[in-house]
Amino acid sequence: MFSSSQFDSSTPFSGGGFMSSQSTQANDAAPSPARGRQTNRLIPVTVKQISEADHSGDEKSNFVINGVEAANVTMVGMVFEKTERNTDVSFFLDDGTGRISCRRWVNESFDAKEVEGIQDGMYVRVNGHLKIFQGNRQIGAFSVRPVTKFDEISFHFIDCIHNHLQSSKSRQQGNSATQPETADASLSTPLRSGSNGYQTASSSLSQLSGQISFDAQKGCDQLILDYLQLPSSSVKEKGIHRDELSQQLKIPVEKIMESIRSLEDEGLIYSTIDEFHFKSAA
Amino acid sequence: MLVYGKTTRDMDTSNPAAFVNADLLRLYVGKRVRALIQVVRSDGGSVVGKSTDDGQIIVKGNPPVPPTNFVEVIGVADSDKSIRAEIWTNFGDAIDTHNYNQLCQLANSDFKHLFI
Repeated sequence: MFSSSQFDSSTPFSGGGFMSSQSTQANDAAPSPARGRQTNRLIPVTVKQISEADHSGDEKSNFVINGVEAANVTMVGMVFEKTERNTDVSFFLDDGTGRISCRRWVNESFDAKEVEGIQDGMYVRVNGHLKIFQGNRQIGAFSVRPVTKFDEISFHFIDCIHNHLQSSKSRQQGNSATQPETADASLSTPLRSGSNGYQTASSSLSQLSGQISFDAQKGCDQLILDYLQLPSSSVKEKGIHRDELSQQLKIPVEKIMESIRSLEDEGLIYSTIDEFHFKSAA
Repeated sequence: MLVYGKTTRDMDTSNPAAFVNADLLRLYVGKRVRALIQVVRSDGGSVVGKSTDDGQIIVKGNPPVPPTNFVEVIGVADSDKSIRAEIWTNFGDAIDTHNYNQLCQLANSDFKHLFI
């Protein structure tokens, strides 16, 4: 419900909808995978992170937060000094880490209606474009929505932490595309060194990332099933070894085993000569 | 901050509010904090609240009328057990205090630099 990933393909800044991976045009023009995907996302950030972000000073280039280009961001905070003008509404967003100026252009009645209900002292979620306007860092907001369920506030800050960890991990790995299913490993490592209290924190974070990577896990199940259902696989009486699955599908063995367990539970595959060889039940 | 008569106020991180529970409050005496509390009782001029780590925090000031079960207070910690509230926000009658509490711990440890 609060996930920022639903905005992946619908930002107004995505250049006319040519960013889908099915378009060959996008493949030619796209920068390295991790960066290309990241600039289309809404990155959850705190005002503090924005204040420390790198920026070349050139109005056309993007901010860089923790090594990742951050063009569009999502934030949660309190509204202050809301000022209405003819063409826009501006306010300061205070998220407890700092205050940043936001501007919401009002072109259509939809825009006007959205900002009507926003008042000083209200908690809102702002989605917008991070930019420099007249020398100042600012958010050009394309969505300002009141927070109605206050779990959204703890969610947002945990989301910021989660995102920070993911980009830290992909920084360590160089330019390899960050796969959502590796988030579990990255989340539990830095927290293990803390006291006992932090281990429960890592489980809540991995629950969170578990939800986000749920679709990736299902995708993995399907990949394995598809591979086992290939004619070349079904022909083999003793089935396919899990290491072959890992190598061919380029998925880590632990992930393969997780999928295999759930596919076995559903009766879609079964083990053959030993616990490492599997065949599709179809 | 005034520069040649023009106010440059793009962003300001000079007055953050640290996430605290009863245990962490003592680290921020005299400083600005924010805490989620469950209202236990109101005693004219102050509220006794249960923090997200099941401790007690006294909040001085006047809560919203009527207050919901859970309230977030932002203010200055004037002792290791109390906060002088500047802003009160009704957070409703049900919220995941466990999540908020873990956020308090994370925001005060490995990820403090993202907050204050």
